Amino acid sequence: MLELEDLVKHYPSGGGEIVRALDGVSMSLGAGELVALYGPSGSGKTTLLNIVAALIPPDAGRVTVNGRTVSGLSSREAAQYRRTEVGYVSQSLDLLPGVPAIDNAALKLLGMKISSREARRRAAPLMKRLGLAQRLTHRPDELSAGERQRVLIARALSTGPSIVLADEPTGSLDTKRSREVLSLLTEICGEQEVAMLLVTHDPQAAAFADRVHSLTDGQLVRYEPDQDLLSAGGS
Amino acid sequence: MRLSNVAHLYSVRIRSRLVQELLALAGITVGVALVFAALVANTSLTGSVKQLTDGLVGQATIQLVGRGADGFDEDLLARVRRIEGVADAAPIFEARANIIGPRGRRSVQLFGGDPRFARLGGALLDLFAARDRQQASELGEQEGIALPAPMATALGITPSRSFRVEIDTQTVRVPLALPLPREDIGQLVESPVAIAPLAYAQKIARMEGRINRIFVKPEAGQEAAVEASLRHLANDRVNVRPADSDIAIFEQAAYPTNQSTTLFSVFSALVGFLFAFSAVLLTVPQRRNLIADLRIAGHDTKALIQVLLFDALVLGVLGALLGLVLGDQISRHLFGSVPGYLAFAFPLGEQRIVTWETVAISGGAGIAAACVAVLVPLRDVAFHHPLASPSPDRTIRRETWAVGVGLICLITTTAIIAAAPAAALIGVIALTIALLCLLPLLLRLAIWGFEAVSRNLKSSVPTLAILELRSRAAHTRTLALAATGGIAVFATVAIGGAHADLQRGLDESAREIDGNADVWATFRGTPNAFATTAFAEQSARTEALRDLPGVGNVQSYRGGFLDIGDRRAWVVAPPRTAVYPIPPSQIRSASADTAEDRVAAGGWVALSEAIAKEFNVGVGDPVKLPSPVPTTFRVAAVTTNLGWPPGAIVLNADDYARAWGSTATSALHIQAAPGASVERLTRAVKSTLGPRVPLLVETKAERISRHYAASRQGLDRLTQISVLVVISAILAMAAVMAGMLWQRRPTVAALKVHGYSERELWRALMLESGLLLGTGCVVGAVFGLYGQLLLSRALETITGFPVFYSAAALVAGSILALVTLVAVAMLALPGWLAVRVRATPGVPG
Repeated sequence: MLELEDLVKHYPSGGGEIVRALDGVSMSLGAGELVALYGPSGSGKTTLLNIVAALIPPDAGRVTVNGRTVSGLSSREAAQYRRTEVGYVSQSLDLLPGVPAIDNAALKLLGMKISSREARRRAAPLMKRLGLAQRLTHRPDELSAGERQRVLIARALSTGPSIVLADEPTGSLDTKRSREVLSLLTEICGEQEVAMLLVTHDPQAAAFADRVHSLTDGQLVRYEPDQDLLSAGGS
Repeated sequence: MRLSNVAHLYSVRIRSRLVQELLALAGITVGVALVFAALVANTSLTGSVKQLTDGLVGQATIQLVGRGADGFDEDLLARVRRIEGVADAAPIFEARANIIGPRGRRSVQLFGGDPRFARLGGALLDLFAARDRQQASELGEQEGIALPAPMATALGITPSRSFRVEIDTQTVRVPLALPLPREDIGQLVESPVAIAPLAYAQKIARMEGRINRIFVKPEAGQEAAVEASLRHLANDRVNVRPADSDIAIFEQAAYPTNQSTTLFSVFSALVGFLFAFSAVLLTVPQRRNLIADLRIAGHDTKALIQVLLFDALVLGVLGALLGLVLGDQISRHLFGSVPGYLAFAFPLGEQRIVTWETVAISGGAGIAAACVAVLVPLRDVAFHHPLASPSPDRTIRRETWAVGVGLICLITTTAIIAAAPAAALIGVIALTIALLCLLPLLLRLAIWGFEAVSRNLKSSVPTLAILELRSRAAHTRTLALAATGGIAVFATVAIGGAHADLQRGLDESAREIDGNADVWATFRGTPNAFATTAFAEQSARTEALRDLPGVGNVQSYRGGFLDIGDRRAWVVAPPRTAVYPIPPSQIRSASADTAEDRVAAGGWVALSEAIAKEFNVGVGDPVKLPSPVPTTFRVAAVTTNLGWPPGAIVLNADDYARAWGSTATSALHIQAAPGASVERLTRAVKSTLGPRVPLLVETKAERISRHYAASRQGLDRLTQISVLVVISAILAMAAVMAGMLWQRRPTVAALKVHGYSERELWRALMLESGLLLGTGCVVGAVFGLYGQLLLSRALETITGFPVFYSAAALVAGSILALVTLVAVAMLALPGWLAVRVRATPGVPG
């Protein structure tokens, strides 16, 4: 489903130094598989996600999705790719203010050749699946943090993507809400055979993953989270 | 993205930014309204003259026009009709008259037309169109006057009742009135005209056998030959011109008014646009997030542009529509009056003429402004990496370029002032660009200076204010606000200052011209403020006035208009012994004493600069005036235009009589004997003349005051627009600042958590507002003084207006203080409400 081959991404920092965010990262993900990228802030996790989402190009290496190379796409092709193949969930994203939840969820669908009514109709089942059946017309300031995050998940999944990229999706949630959101996300991704790359520094989130990697000095390393840490996170 | 989806996205988003969108809408509306009103006013002026001309000219292509109010002998008509190639020719008589009805009086231009030739004329003469010779003859013998129906109704004149007409120095009772409805004469129904059969008009004006124009229709292909024959026949005693030449002459006279109104429209539109731009900027963070979301959600650049453009078009189209409606009201009720001074020489009506071009320009400007306001701040997000933010380097480069451009514009303006004042409009635009380009740097310097001064103050208030002003996120908004205030003050100071300089010059000219007599007697009527309507001088009346106790002398003043090329020059001819044979403050070349002595002696004239250039003459050169009796004079002096845009000619009254071949008088100059009371003398003169003589008797002071009022009328529109600009700018600044303060609440809430009191936070907000607006307005005032110099120089050099410079620093300072204080005062309450928010570490946005 998703293949990353020797990805390299460097950034110039102040004083003429180079930050090696990714330095030859390779990885593969199968359909329905959840891989967590664990690590502290600034280790390059978000950079990796952005390259997979074709938001930024790699300096070297290749990203392949379902056999198609998506690194180096034109702007128009990249947009098309993100609309149909990728679902992006991030704590830094927020809902459009003042816009009802159902319309926020249908934002991706508006770019398809369908009417807004049809877009709402297609987003509604997902919203219900995510426990937001009674919240369809609520505006963001009328939703809790967890509900807002679920609307973002609905938006990400609305076009039936092959990959979900989740960047700290539970960063601003308490333990209980985090578990709920992650449970739902992994359940839906499993049902729809969607590969998910989850960036987190929350050990509890890592516990949902099939595999956990960490990014250190631009290199991807298999990571075995401490069982105690996982148990503490679980409770 | 489908258009319906774009519209859907717009409709679900509007709720969260309704206030900001309404503010932006208000800005676009104001800008469009002012542009539209100013354009309608300009178009209507020229259109009014064009309609009247078309109403007379009909099928004629050439006309013979008398050079003086007396016209020429009617016998000329027969000779014109005998010229080979002339298909038809029609005579027209013209005279100034006052129509008096039970409910008031009105000054009109009385036209006399011959029914036998009405078929040649336009709509105005159609009423004379007769079936046959017999009927034409009967119509020609009628004794009655036709009036536009609205005028007749307003004056209480009905067909069944007679009414009075003042003409020459008599009052005549007219037995028959014929109201002319709109269906018959169209838009001419708004013009100050009256029509009578030629013979009757000549009779009541005591000008039997005289006409003022002959309209000629040549046969096809004979135009050139007929014109040549007419010139030969005219023998330099009568002008031969295109039949519609009055339009060109009027456009020449109205040029300064139209130019200044256009200039003000540009300023008004700029203020309106900045208003909208500032308001729209408040929604930039939201739009920025939307664009980022859309890009991450897989929408391409085309979709992003569609969404933004839709936002812009809704704003622009709605703003344009509302602006056109508001502008229509402004043009009707505020700019509706005709500049009085133009009515002295042209019969101008109250028509409002709205062309599709006016609507398109005004509306289009509003839509374009909305598109720029919405799209420009988001160009980096729409076209570049969705997660990128503007680099500091890019910002610095942009500001450096702006300073460079600003300095170049400043140098350009200086060069225009020094060497090419004719390019004043370019100079004003360059100065405006310079202000906008240099403002960021000046604002930065002001903040730095304030920071340096307040560094040692033991108060948090200045620090809080500086923090916000230095915020990168607020940078563009801050600049837009300062620019709005700056432009408003700049426009007001520049135009107000030039206006004041011009007014000083005009007042001085009026004082000297009207100061030549203690008491004036002129033909009644507002259009005669320049004393250009002639009346027959009656020796018996003059002798009676001379015999009055307290009278030192009674003399004739003569004046009128003389067409020189496309210029309708004002001719001023005081008596030889006048105190000011030439208004001395208006002399631009030659010694005032020498020039005045020469004109008084006779054989010399003073010409305004434009007229002198038209003749290509200087002081001492001979010049042949195209008067009814062409006469050669020598140039005694070159003067300003005495406040009459096309130009002026000054000579003594005797020379005027000689060159015009007429002893008709335009005014009686009555000098009081030493020690005599002018007021008592005025009453005695009125009593002697009696109520039936349509002469207005006024003292020197009353006449000067009327002259002042007339010249101010011409500048009224400038005053109105500059007041509107200031009001709009104050409202714009206050409204946008209030919106910005309201958005500041999360920051205020967080600061309160850290222990800042409401009082401290409120004072910081007010200080920040005052500093921002004050800096913008100070910069605007300084640029405004420079703009005043540019405009005054242009007025003086291009149009020849009398302009008396003054450094209006006090006026500039007052304007900027007023604008800043009022805007800040309007923020006091919103600011207080904004700081009342509950202390919270993070408030949802």
